[in-house]
Amino acid sequence: MKDRKVLSRDPRRYTLPSERALGAETHSYLPELCDQLKTGKINRRDFLRQAALLGMATGTVYAMADKLGGGSGIIGSAVADEMPKAGGTLRISMRVQEMTDPASFDWSEKANVARLMVEYLTRTKSDNVTVPYLAHKWEASDDLKTWVFHLNQGITWSNGDAFTSADVAHTVNRWLDPATGSSNLGLFGAMVEVGEDGQKRGIANAVEVIDDHTIQFNLKQAALAMPENFYNYPTAIVHRGFGADYEADLSANPIGTGAFELAEFAIGEKAILRKARDWWAGPFYLDEVHYYDHGEDTNAWVAALASQQVDGLFRLPNSAIEAAQALPFVDIHEATTAQTGVMRFRVTEAPFDNLKLRQAVAACMDHDEILQKAFKGYGQIAENHHVCQIHPEYAALPPLKRDIEKAKALLAEAGYADGITIEIANGDTEGPWMTDACAIFKNQAAPAGINIDINKMPANQYWEVWDKAPWGYTAWTHRALGTMVLGLAYRAGVPWNEVAYDNPAFDAALDDAEGTLDVEERRKKMVLCEQILQDDAIIPQPFWRSVFRASNKRVKGFSTHPTLYDQFHEVWLDG
Amino acid sequence: MIQLIVRRVGMMILIMLVVALLLFLINEGDPTLIARSVLGPYAQAEQLNAWVIENGYDRSVIVRYFEWIGRIFAGDLGESVIYKRPVSDIFWDRLGNTGILAGVTFVIMVLIALTLGVLAGMKEGSLQDRTISVFSIITTSIPEYASAVFLVGIFVFWLGILPGTSSMTSGFDPVQMILPVFVLTLYGFGYIARMTRASMAEVMTTPYIRTAVLKGLPYRHIILKHALRNALIAPFTVIMLQINWLLSGVVVTEFAFGYKGFGALLLEAALRRDIFVIEACGVAAVFVAVFTQTVGDLGYTYLNPRIRFK
Repeated sequence: MKDRKVLSRDPRRYTLPSERALGAETHSYLPELCDQLKTGKINRRDFLRQAALLGMATGTVYAMADKLGGGSGIIGSAVADEMPKAGGTLRISMRVQEMTDPASFDWSEKANVARLMVEYLTRTKSDNVTVPYLAHKWEASDDLKTWVFHLNQGITWSNGDAFTSADVAHTVNRWLDPATGSSNLGLFGAMVEVGEDGQKRGIANAVEVIDDHTIQFNLKQAALAMPENFYNYPTAIVHRGFGADYEADLSANPIGTGAFELAEFAIGEKAILRKARDWWAGPFYLDEVHYYDHGEDTNAWVAALASQQVDGLFRLPNSAIEAAQALPFVDIHEATTAQTGVMRFRVTEAPFDNLKLRQAVAACMDHDEILQKAFKGYGQIAENHHVCQIHPEYAALPPLKRDIEKAKALLAEAGYADGITIEIANGDTEGPWMTDACAIFKNQAAPAGINIDINKMPANQYWEVWDKAPWGYTAWTHRALGTMVLGLAYRAGVPWNEVAYDNPAFDAALDDAEGTLDVEERRKKMVLCEQILQDDAIIPQPFWRSVFRASNKRVKGFSTHPTLYDQFHEVWLDG
Repeated sequence: MIQLIVRRVGMMILIMLVVALLLFLINEGDPTLIARSVLGPYAQAEQLNAWVIENGYDRSVIVRYFEWIGRIFAGDLGESVIYKRPVSDIFWDRLGNTGILAGVTFVIMVLIALTLGVLAGMKEGSLQDRTISVFSIITTSIPEYASAVFLVGIFVFWLGILPGTSSMTSGFDPVQMILPVFVLTLYGFGYIARMTRASMAEVMTTPYIRTAVLKGLPYRHIILKHALRNALIAPFTVIMLQINWLLSGVVVTEFAFGYKGFGALLLEAALRRDIFVIEACGVAAVFVAVFTQTVGDLGYTYLNPRIRFK
């Protein structure tokens, strides 16, 4: 067993009562964090997130934030002001896709159906703060290389087995096995090494079962976002027999720790989930959740809501906001997010292996114009480095300005003084605004001599070429920390590195940032990460977009999660 | 007549075999693409090759083609990549759903079209004729995706009296059929009505109708007993062609209303390269096209003595 001394404070050092009051026994960094909140160096939301990540109990975190003057307790239960009514069926319009192996889920929709059955170690709430779930607390070593998760006791699987560390170990080991083909291999890079055969796999002893309800993760490098990484759509914890004693197919073997059972499941048609037992974590008001598939046509989704065939939508398309607003019985829920689309170049493919050309294209972009015209201004402008203003470690770089003269000069340096025609693949995977964004950018680039052809294709066809097309417009979902998506998408060799980016300097800068707990310090380190991505011009990125959902007013406690994850334990039906 | 039937049916089988071969070559000509479609975008080259060999796709395309034809006759349509189950499990349900939609639409559309066509053709150039003609030209020129949005706007968002989607999630609901049938009828009836009108107008100018009028027969009697029978021969072929359109041309309408039919299945399969579903749908669509054409030809020959005796 690995030496666990790193997990606790140095026993030789005396902890002051004032430090203990600020959580020093949970993690030595907590008093410092409290101080930062008090002095205004970090905001309330950052404090909540950081303190929860370091293992402070949720109630204590919120109470501490209030006490230290970080604001009033605005983030409470969504149902606190009305007495919830139990029972009823919530009907949601959403694509019902195959639901085989949670480790290889690539769509939030799949996880939404699965989430009512299989659960997660942690849960990131709609306010971007991660709180305990299957794990009731966790601790990190000071060097952030060893993480211990304490699991709730008394939870059983729907087949009667007790939930233990063995289930978590089995699940995480499956992710780290390259044969599973899970994107978690990139997400948990600190537990992954490259083997002699060039293939990525989990490092030895990465997952260590301490006892039935304690599990330890031993990382090769510091990682800050372990708790948040455990709440991604492919990180549901499955039963220890999944893919071992029986086929890795959740729709065929729906064994979970959740309260719901899969009563009916027909891909492309519906998923009917029925409450089969009390939820171990508290009340769950709904009796049934029905997901109905109304196809790809977003007009049909809104029409289903309008005729009250469903109570809510998985997503309200931007183009349908006005139509939904006209319905008197419908509420619209907005979430500010780090969801975005990146016009990413594949840097190994000609002509985009030419840095000057990429920089010339990026210099043509007027981010605000694209946001205003393609997305009606619902969002924030982006800065070509995939770190969002709402991320705690976001570092502001000098603003980007459209500069046609600079673009022309760069184009000449790139060897295309007479101009160039380049093609962008776009599948409108998140809606027609993506084509609009391409068309506006086409106009912006034309004066520099860059002619952009838009290769419009069906969404599903785009997902076949998203990591192959020399130039493509790929949608990325929200993640709670800026470092998370950078690790998934731009670290050398990870499965979702669609850019084929391989920059040791960037990897080192990212490793450094990921290992820094102090937000101020991390922000300073993020300057380098952001600057490298911006200078290498691999992802002209117009804007960050807000997302919307709509629900019937009789649905209470409904909200939009930035990643469109359904969290229905607070939802109830009025009438 | 029997000789004609045998010849037509033989031709039908030959056409189907040729079209099926084209369909097969397009979809299964390159075994690596099939492996890619089945194993997904992340499969490595070695996995693709292993799959190709394991499933016998390294053999000659002609051998595979005849095996495929044999499997179709045995009812084995392959396994869907999207649905992860045999194509035949989904295919017949979806075909049945489209059959219901198409059947209801067909009856309503043909009744409306023939009635309006006859009314228009009875008095060529009259106000009645012009009104019906203009109306049917307008409706036929509005594509289904536009009329679907328009009708949903009126009946779902404004009046709030009809369901906006037709996915039949809680079992068959006739009310959910109203809007898709409305959209299809609106688009399809004009063509038959115009053909019926032209045919009727032509019959109304023939000497035997003039004789009947001069003989003093009641006008109603002339139309129903004498004109109508001959006037319906030409639209018959058009009506048969509409069956073909109703099966494979309903994609847009099914898509707009989330109706779980054959058209939506084909569209989704095409978008996601679910090749065994594409093949099954393709063969079914070709069969219906060729079959209705053959029945149309035979029926026309039967109804029109001039062709039969030539």
